[in-house]
Amino acid sequence: MGTDQQMTKSLATGHSRRRVLQGAAALAMAAPMLRAARTMAQEKVQLVLWHMEQPPNRVQQFQKVLDAFNASQDGIEVKQQVQNWEDIYQKATSAIQAGRQPDLLFTIPDFTTAIKQTGAVQPVEDLVDAIAADHKFLEPAVQPYRYEDHTWAVPLYGMVQLLWYRKDMFEAAGLGRDAPKDWDQLREYAEKLTADGKFGIGITSSKHLYTDQEFYSFMITNGGKHLFAEDGKVDFDTPNNVKTLAFYKELSKFSPPGSSSWTWAEPQALLNTGQLAMAIEKGQFLGPFEEQSGRPAEDLGAAPIPWPPDGERGSIYYSNGVMLLSDDQAKRDATGEFLKFLFQPDTYAEFLLAEPGLFLPVTEDGDSPAWRQSPVLAKYPDAVDLLVEQSKYGYLFGFTRDKINPGIGQISAENMLAQVVQMAIVQDQTPEEAVAAGQKMMEAAAASVQPSS
Amino acid sequence: MQATTRRAGQTPLEAIRGDRGSAALFGYLFVAPLILWLVITIALPLVYSVFLSFTDIGVVGTEGAFIGLDNYRRIVAEPEFRAAFVRSLVWAFGGGLVQIVLAFAAALTLNQAFRGQRFARTWIILSWIVPTIVIAIMWRWMLNATFGIVNYLITHLGLSAVPIDFLGTPQWAMPTLVLINAWRWFPFLALLILAGLQTIPEEYYQAAQIDGAGPVKRFFSITLPLLQPVLYVTGLIGTLWAFNIFDLIWLMTQGGPVSATETLPVLIYDRAFNGFALGEASTISVLLALFLLIYSVVFIRFVPAGETEGGVL
Repeated sequence: MGTDQQMTKSLATGHSRRRVLQGAAALAMAAPMLRAARTMAQEKVQLVLWHMEQPPNRVQQFQKVLDAFNASQDGIEVKQQVQNWEDIYQKATSAIQAGRQPDLLFTIPDFTTAIKQTGAVQPVEDLVDAIAADHKFLEPAVQPYRYEDHTWAVPLYGMVQLLWYRKDMFEAAGLGRDAPKDWDQLREYAEKLTADGKFGIGITSSKHLYTDQEFYSFMITNGGKHLFAEDGKVDFDTPNNVKTLAFYKELSKFSPPGSSSWTWAEPQALLNTGQLAMAIEKGQFLGPFEEQSGRPAEDLGAAPIPWPPDGERGSIYYSNGVMLLSDDQAKRDATGEFLKFLFQPDTYAEFLLAEPGLFLPVTEDGDSPAWRQSPVLAKYPDAVDLLVEQSKYGYLFGFTRDKINPGIGQISAENMLAQVVQMAIVQDQTPEEAVAAGQKMMEAAAASVQPSS
Repeated sequence: MQATTRRAGQTPLEAIRGDRGSAALFGYLFVAPLILWLVITIALPLVYSVFLSFTDIGVVGTEGAFIGLDNYRRIVAEPEFRAAFVRSLVWAFGGGLVQIVLAFAAALTLNQAFRGQRFARTWIILSWIVPTIVIAIMWRWMLNATFGIVNYLITHLGLSAVPIDFLGTPQWAMPTLVLINAWRWFPFLALLILAGLQTIPEEYYQAAQIDGAGPVKRFFSITLPLLQPVLYVTGLIGTLWAFNIFDLIWLMTQGGPVSATETLPVLIYDRAFNGFALGEASTISVLLALFLLIYSVVFIRFVPAGETEGGVL
């Protein structure tokens, strides 16, 4: 309807010319405000977040948290895009080269050292400090990202390995319901439990990150947590590591056939189906145990990884974090807002429950009732206590010193620890030969990149 | 109707367009988008790869310094590269041999009249159309040493007392992958051979039979020579494809165990994205491309293209 007609109609219906003019003036005043509002909406800061947590339950839970954050914000929107660990090195570096990288990228410490070489990773100590002021980070979570006078990622969640075991299988073999305490007992139990088509312990020897992790956990327990000496040189070929590899190789006799091509799924599947009595893995064993095994939660045992008499408690610990890849101040500020929201204990509990038991809190108040009282974790209070406690004894190869040798990125990406294990178990080399070959490989990797200051 | 005036030596089309030069321009305009597309998608990346092979670039996206032929000297002398090259030869030619045997058997069978022939001809292609990731996952589980169906059968039939770790044992991994790849690709080859078989006139076989030629003689004297054009093309293209296969190997074994299945494409990927040595990876790519170029030239020059019913190709 045209303006003239409207005015005519208004006048005809008894409205005065003044009223019409007042209305027009009000509209004229409102127009810039509406335009500004539209501009603000258009200029909403968008954060694109890449992560490699592919399982649908994790993606859904992350989305729940993102939806809550986006709903709470007028000027910021965070969108997740799911990637996978298999090709993230390639994808991330290619995206950075093309200038189309995400604003935020999930990471683990060795991935950060690799991506940092592109120059795209932004220091985030200001963001870490802002979160720490209210929620205090656990030191093992931040330490692997702190080098070269900066912090390169904000820790989000931890992961730690334990010895998982089937108490019902232990009982059936006459071993009671308690876990083995040291290496000798571990070997003895593994042997006794290997019978009638069932196997004592899952010892993987595939060229896979799982092998890196499992073997490194044993290395820690036998005094081998430092992959580099204090001067930054590779320090892998040590008597302790040779002894650890010999023990690992010995244990592999009680592992199911096919362990040399295992990835993540097999040990958990075998433990749940009762074909495997012990496995060393992270906390994802909790969630599906009852449903997949048909056994009550009490039959799933958890214990620290046994250590030799002269060794120490410990296991691999991954501090998963998020890197900021944008140098835009508005995006940095938006990231700060997002993290502030995320680390509120109740929200953080929702986030961690993307994978109950696997994702562990990295802040002191993250170990909250909201997290512990979730349906899955409430069934395994002892295991949850142990996971949290074990985090304090966690280490990550290459990140145990104040200085980081950037060669660790290649050592990890090429699964060099796993390659050493393969030499010993698949190729049947002696532990001495395999460890010596590993030392050479790692030295070559370390020499191919400039050491950090 | 208006008649077109044609000058001496002009084709009707040229006459319509005016002259020979404008006709050429017209043709170039038609092919220009394709040429541009090929330049962008093939020529430029290829040139860039060659350039990278002369640098020491590490991580993708970082700067690299020009180092001349250093990468080439180092790579050619590297035992890892040589071993991967030999594995690539085994993978391509060994796999090719298995595929040809299977494809011939299938094609000759499908060329016979039998009940269900049409069904078999249609569904034989199934393994070829299934996505690689599905094939990889399916075979990984089937070959699993603990709960895979293959090992269940092997142990229950008494073929082996203990399960065989097909993908985790160096001596088994490559043959296993070769067989899986052959299983995947032989139906495609079988259909090509079948198409070739159906162009051979039945009279040739009848005449040979009257002359007393047995099945073996007929196969080697009639079938094989007349299928030579098909085998020539598949021999060339199939080998080039096989050399470049990466996905199945990576998904099944990632080149392991202990590099037992690390062919050149796997080595290239591993070097570029796990070893953070893009310059070296580019060098291996260039060397592989050169080898395939030489192979193609030699193949085209020396392998007979065969005869068709109408004459020599």
